[in-house]
Amino acid sequence: MAQVEQFQYDNAIVRKFTYATMVFGAVGILVGLLAALQLVFPALNFGTAETTFGRIRPLHTNAAIFAFVGNGIFMGVYYSLQRLLKTNMYSKFLNEFHFWGWQTIILAAAITLPLGITSSHEYAELEWPIDLAIAAVWVAFGVNMFGTILKRRENHLYVAIWFYIATWVTVTVLHIGNNLEIPVSMWKSYPVFAGVQDALIQWWYGHNAVAFFLTTPYLGLMYYFLPKAANRPVYSYKLSIIHFWALIFIYIWAGPHHLLYTSLPDWAQSLGTAFSIMLIAPSWGGMLNGLLTLRGAWDRVRQDPILKFMVVAVTAYGMATFEGPMLSIKSVNAISHFTDWTIGHVHIGTLGWNGFLTFGVLYWLIPRMFQTQLYSQKLANTHFWIGTLGIMFYSIPLYWAGWTQSLMWKQFTPDGFLQYGNFLETVTQIIPMYALRAVGGTLYVVGYFVMLYNLIKTIRAGSFQAYEAAQAPARVATAGAHKGEHWHRWIERRPIQLLIGSTIAILIGGMVELFPMLMIGDQVPKIESVKPYTALELQGRDIYIREGCIGCHTQMVRPFRSETERYGEYSKSGEFIYDRPFLWGSKRTGPDLHRLGNKYPDSWHYNHMLDPTSMSPGSIMPVYSWLIEDDLDNSLLPAKIAVLRTLGTPYEEGYEETAVADAEKQAEEVTARLRKDGIEDENLEKKEIIALIAYLQRLGTDIKPAPQAGN
Amino acid sequence: MFKYILEGAGSINWMAIASLLTFMAVFIISAVMAFRSQPAFIDKMANLPLDDSTPSFNAENEQHEQ
Repeated sequence: MAQVEQFQYDNAIVRKFTYATMVFGAVGILVGLLAALQLVFPALNFGTAETTFGRIRPLHTNAAIFAFVGNGIFMGVYYSLQRLLKTNMYSKFLNEFHFWGWQTIILAAAITLPLGITSSHEYAELEWPIDLAIAAVWVAFGVNMFGTILKRRENHLYVAIWFYIATWVTVTVLHIGNNLEIPVSMWKSYPVFAGVQDALIQWWYGHNAVAFFLTTPYLGLMYYFLPKAANRPVYSYKLSIIHFWALIFIYIWAGPHHLLYTSLPDWAQSLGTAFSIMLIAPSWGGMLNGLLTLRGAWDRVRQDPILKFMVVAVTAYGMATFEGPMLSIKSVNAISHFTDWTIGHVHIGTLGWNGFLTFGVLYWLIPRMFQTQLYSQKLANTHFWIGTLGIMFYSIPLYWAGWTQSLMWKQFTPDGFLQYGNFLETVTQIIPMYALRAVGGTLYVVGYFVMLYNLIKTIRAGSFQAYEAAQAPARVATAGAHKGEHWHRWIERRPIQLLIGSTIAILIGGMVELFPMLMIGDQVPKIESVKPYTALELQGRDIYIREGCIGCHTQMVRPFRSETERYGEYSKSGEFIYDRPFLWGSKRTGPDLHRLGNKYPDSWHYNHMLDPTSMSPGSIMPVYSWLIEDDLDNSLLPAKIAVLRTLGTPYEEGYEETAVADAEKQAEEVTARLRKDGIEDENLEKKEIIALIAYLQRLGTDIKPAPQAGN
Repeated sequence: MFKYILEGAGSINWMAIASLLTFMAVFIISAVMAFRSQPAFIDKMANLPLDDSTPSFNAENEQHEQ
């Protein structure tokens, strides 16, 4: 019998992440509420660049995912890892480095995103210096986690820890893969891949950010905290083993379902669909394992708000993971994609699964760390009901809005014309739904602040136990597998083997999905008339990126008659070979812009940016008046040209030296057209709006016959 | 275009078949081994979260443990 050792669990680091979770949850949902209200009351964009929807939306998604859920993951991991391994954390320095590093990254995101510093890759918007910082902090977390695993007193690794390991290794691979970029300056870079390849990498990342940041770590938390709260072991540990391996193996393949009917090759789309449907099995296996853990304890669910939160969280996980595969079926996706249905779907996951599981953990954890009772069970129950109503009021109107708008997009008259030819009609129709969604968001926020009050009162009433005494027998390491012992027991004792196994499982899917696309780098079908952007258009494109236009506008005309009638020729992969980054988008709050070039005169764009309602009465697009006031900064232009040439854009040698002059010349031409239409602003040719107009007028024109001058 | 890309990428059929076989292998092996594991071991693993090696200090927790 091994000697019993005395040690202490470190609650101090858990408390830090707990506080950060509480604070950033409030920030994330409040910014989300602002974004929701901006779609109903455009005046709430406040007419300033930093507070406009295009910049607020990524601030909301990053705050919710990486600040709120991120800190929630670390809170749960630091608490459960120590107890499951019967040891304290490996390094106090790494604890602190991880905590303060992560909060610094959040601060950097909170500053740079409103300033328009973005790579435009969804959920990976942060620019390269911050990406490097994320890598450093993530490695520190990994070292700390594996160090803790190696010094453990418990021989076997509980399934929650496998999920933590898979999370760590996959996020590492995803973060590196999707942020391969060449810096132009401190706050500007271009991605290594272009067009269709960039799209595939981005959605391989984007999908798996959901899988391995919002799902697998939270499944780990579910497997630890749900049994703790219910005070009974998980329903089936055997099922959890199958759940783990099947889930991590399949999840990584499903990314292309974000690109159905786009210019992505058909085989990649089919692969994404097939694996998405297969995902139902492990996801529901995990959900049922969670719910059935409460078998025989359902009477307690009626009284205990913690269990209520957890039951709704696991149910929301089941709903979202059923809906996701359904949305991956091409015929369903043809209706849902680019609409609010997707937004409703993801919020079932984030508000229900991530939000409610976090709330359950907070209500469970804080009284224990502060050695007291929860201040008010009644308030927690109130929070539960307000929050649940909030989720319903949030998602049901968005489902309704998505179906309505999609059906309107596709509706033809008996004569074969689009019934709702003006896109704006399909937006104004759903604004009441947006208003209801904001009501749902408000309810969720109110519930959240009820929780904060309850938790703060609990904290004040208790006394914090920074270091919790514990004892466990020393681990007797075994050199090899015992005869007759099965392989999984052997793996559970060996974190490195588990790490390697997880890595292989996720890499197989990633490689099969990505390699063919990357290997054919130079063989994406080229279209001779597709040329690189001019210097001014490139500047305009970077303004489009900075303003977050991608948050509301796609650049991907799908091969449906309803889309080719509305927008023009469907998009071809060869049209995007110089697009770094790709800007296909994922949501149409406004119309697709891929065939916008030459559709309207330059002066239309000028007036539309100054006041969208002047050209489109009833539009909810924000004003972009600063584009008309601010001078275009061409100082980085030579460096941009040089970097893009390095990456393969065929700019002539020496073009960087003449690029500024070329941009100024084109700006004069655009200005002359504007002046002809009566726009007489001083120094107009120097303004940012000129570059943006040049870019918008170029969009989709490479394969479209040139119009008559002046049209 | 589909054919063109596949030809350009060389022979990737083996990738699809190998990945399907790998998945089947992962799934079947984990399922078979999970269901063949010893009940005592599974029971021990399932109960790991409930053993903190610390005295319980919370009244509510006490109630749960009854």
